[in-house]
Amino acid sequence: MSELLNTLMQDARVWQGHKHNKTTQPAEPTGFQALDNQLGGLGWPRGALSECLLDTPGIGELTLLMPLMQRLSQAGKTVFWLNPPHTPYAPALIREGIDLNQIIMIHTEDKGDFLWTLENCLRSPVTGLVMAWPKKLEAREIRRLQLAAEAGSNVCVLFRERHYAEQNSPAALRLELEPDDQQSLKVNVLKRRGSWPGQRCSLAMAHRASLLHHEAPRIVQGPWPTMAR
Amino acid sequence: MLWLYLHFPHLVLDHIRRSGEHVSALVIVEGSGQKVVQACPTAKDLGVRDDMRLKTAISLVPELSIIRADQQQEARILEDQARWLYRYAAHIVLVPPNGLLAEIGSLQRLYGGLSAVWRTLEEVLHERQLTAWMGTGHTPLAARLTARNGVGERTSDTARILQTLSKMPLLAAEFDGRTCIRLQRLGLNTLGEVFSLPPKEMARRLSPETLAYIQKIRGSRPDPQAPWQPPHHFRQQADFVQDIEQSQGLLFPLRRMLSELESDLCWRQQDTDCLLLELQHRHTEPTRLRIRTSGPEHRAEPFLSLVSLRLEQQPLKAPVMSLRLIVKRFLGREAPFKQDLLGENQDLNEAWHTLASRLQARLGDNAMKQLSPRADHRPEWAWSASQVRRTNRVTTTATNQLPCRPLWLLQGPQPLTETPKVWFTGPERISGGWWDGQRVHRDYYVAQLDNGQLAWVFRDIREGWFIHGWFG
Repeated sequence: MSELLNTLMQDARVWQGHKHNKTTQPAEPTGFQALDNQLGGLGWPRGALSECLLDTPGIGELTLLMPLMQRLSQAGKTVFWLNPPHTPYAPALIREGIDLNQIIMIHTEDKGDFLWTLENCLRSPVTGLVMAWPKKLEAREIRRLQLAAEAGSNVCVLFRERHYAEQNSPAALRLELEPDDQQSLKVNVLKRRGSWPGQRCSLAMAHRASLLHHEAPRIVQGPWPTMAR
Repeated sequence: MLWLYLHFPHLVLDHIRRSGEHVSALVIVEGSGQKVVQACPTAKDLGVRDDMRLKTAISLVPELSIIRADQQQEARILEDQARWLYRYAAHIVLVPPNGLLAEIGSLQRLYGGLSAVWRTLEEVLHERQLTAWMGTGHTPLAARLTARNGVGERTSDTARILQTLSKMPLLAAEFDGRTCIRLQRLGLNTLGEVFSLPPKEMARRLSPETLAYIQKIRGSRPDPQAPWQPPHHFRQQADFVQDIEQSQGLLFPLRRMLSELESDLCWRQQDTDCLLLELQHRHTEPTRLRIRTSGPEHRAEPFLSLVSLRLEQQPLKAPVMSLRLIVKRFLGREAPFKQDLLGENQDLNEAWHTLASRLQARLGDNAMKQLSPRADHRPEWAWSASQVRRTNRVTTTATNQLPCRPLWLLQGPQPLTETPKVWFTGPERISGGWWDGQRVHRDYYVAQLDNGQLAWVFRDIREGWFIHGWFG
């Protein structure tokens, strides 16, 4: 080992991977114990960006955020949905125990408006959670959002396509989401602050359609002559 | 009673100088455009005089800025002055075209003497960059004559005022031309000499109107004045000498107008949530901008940032001649929410209004939506999106009783193009809408597609399979 490195080691000025520093960043628990464990007991970071990378909607990505949304909306914090791909369905949100007064849906026309709106929402103290569905973002735009997120102290989740997993991103937490056969959600931690990534876990999400694992499909068998189209 | 008269020798000039950038030399010309009516000090230094022909003035000062006198505009500007004066005096009378009369006898006690009233008004005039000649008098006309002739004094002594008036030459006393000539032919030169004529003689030899005028000046005949009432809306206009082409150029006059609005609102103890801006163009229809704040507001700063946001979004369609700010809607002001003792709790309500107004100003009123459920069995009618309103209504819905629904609803049903891998619950029959022609007759199922999406699919009565939502 070079002499320089030796001196640095003796002064304890080199960070070594096996020493896990407990991060003290503020965070909100996800509400899923298994995922919280994988994230070092923290959860969604506050005052930083999080990314969820997924191929298609409808695999339980909203259910992943439901416990947080419930908690924040009942605490009087506003939850913004920015450019959602489909309509958030009000009866389902109520069923999940979410205060609809705190849910605001915003649609923007172009990317400039999108970034501006997101930044403004992030900086406001009324915001609890911002969920955004950007079309295509460049690294410096994500960086700009990250800075805006640091100015506030709320959770911001960007939903992006899964092929962005290969690109790097300044977001503090990156989760890759995949469905599996049991209607569960496989979460793969691509990046998190203060520790190594690579944790995986599977979260049971069957309750989102009131399905239970052990139960056989409760379908009324009928004649399906024209079903296969 | 003691009256104070404010004579504004060049009110329109003052008004224009306030609302714009610095211009070199400025004159007001009469309606026909032949004669200079008022000239600003810069123009006067260059040799332009009042009542000079415009052609002469232009040959003296080639780069002269010219404003055409407009009676309506003058009346409006005078009313603006009355509005601020109303904060200091209750009984105000407008004397067009350029005078204001205020009853100040009753104010002396409030302000602590006549000189305090005088000083207060001088300060305000200075602050507003207005030139005014003030004069007091025991009658409205006495105050007017002393003020207009620049011999006004701060005195409440009737004898002294009469003495000042007596020395005044006949020409300055504003008799009509014929009477003035007749009085001069009688050998009278000052107002004092007219005063000493016996009234009967005067009525006989001149006219009863002249006698009435003299008596009104002296105070031996009542001269009732109807007080001016302030309007129930706020309206201000800035006129520009040169048309403004960049929206940034509007911000400077706007800042002043909004701070005036702020003080007006403070004084009314009211708030507003809607501003109307009218940008007048030379040849096209005026642009009307309605600026809404999401909550009651009175401070100039948030208004200004909203307006500048709006102006950034919307470029000017033509150069702007004048800018008008109108506020018609006033809301009672609630006592401000105090911060807690340590000043740590930010006022969330206010923060919310700030955010919502900013977003609405940039994205438009309809960009922000709030969701609410609706009592309907048909899935596409069971929700509605409305404009954002901050009401803390309590939704008491027994959550368990609601049927299972997906978190995502598609904009419209999409055809199902593949055979689902696994079928779960179903069918749930939803049939309705016969009452309004939007008939729905479907069997809903929960099914998982090949790529793992959990879908809410239905079979229509017309034998088609569709996806209507995703269990996100």
